[in-house]
Amino acid sequence: MTKADSIGQFEQLVLTAILTLYEEAYGVTIHAKVQDLAGAKAVSLGAVYVTLDRLEDKGLISSWLTDPTPERGGRAKRCYRLEAVGERALEESAATAKRVWDSIVRVWGKEWARRWRKEWGKGTA
Amino acid sequence: MGETLAQRMGQGDCVMPGRPPRALEAIVGFLTPPACREVVLGDLHERYRSPMQYISDAWYAVPCVVYSRIRRTADPGVLLMDALLLYVAFMAAARQFDRELLYSRLGLMRLAIPAGIAVVMLALADAYARPGRPTALRPLMQATLGVGLTGVAQTAFSAAGFSFALPLWIVLAGGSFGVVGVSIIGMLFPPDDHRPRGAG
Repeated sequence: MTKADSIGQFEQLVLTAILTLYEEAYGVTIHAKVQDLAGAKAVSLGAVYVTLDRLEDKGLISSWLTDPTPERGGRAKRCYRLEAVGERALEESAATAKRVWDSIVRVWGKEWARRWRKEWGKGTA
Repeated sequence: MGETLAQRMGQGDCVMPGRPPRALEAIVGFLTPPACREVVLGDLHERYRSPMQYISDAWYAVPCVVYSRIRRTADPGVLLMDALLLYVAFMAAARQFDRELLYSRLGLMRLAIPAGIAVVMLALADAYARPGRPTALRPLMQATLGVGLTGVAQTAFSAAGFSFALPLWIVLAGGSFGVVGVSIIGMLFPPDDHRPRGAG
């Protein structure tokens, strides 16, 4: 993976939100999904905009404008989708997270992992 | 999924809190760079619950959007060239009209203040420029606006009695030379706009 493809934690959240929202990935829904994924941490809409722009500049996502809709006051949405490079970056970061998880479980044991899932794993597969 | 999220946020058919006040939308629209105005106003409109919530959303969103726009449009190399050129222009004006200023304590720093203000204004002018193909006059207009506002700021400092304000003639002469130089730099190096070219 090149340096340009390396992503931070917040970028991971935004890419995951875009991945899970399919065709409905635009500012409002991405922000709501990122807020869901971030848990208790408050996420501002502005932070999402900045990250979307940065990811687009890196070529990890692309965007297009939709037709204006009345619920937005007759304004268009900018929808986003993952590009192949973005999918690869997300796969790589998920693999890293898995390696971190496996290393922690190896040290702290499976009993800890069971307790962790009970406490933190709500809503995860 | 999008629908579920929208409903969770109270945007389903059952909850229609109305639309944001036009005056608020106009203010937020004015503060938002034109390149992303429609999308930002649309998102804020869709999230609208109450005027206070709208103001709070805009308060956090607009500065980030402006920052992101500056990051996309500003070329640090060009801004550095602008800063150096403006600094030299004000130094040349000081040499012509008030040579003592060049040798006075903090004199060189006083000359750097208008150059710094002008560079910030130029970065903002690029960020707030309308998207699309720039006209030949755009660099001249942006330079005039940026340096003009610097002149206004210097006049205000002078009126307020701040000791670091520059004499009017230095501001006028340095600013005039600066406008010409910055316009030429703007024509040679147009803003680097990475705005999406459309994926769909």
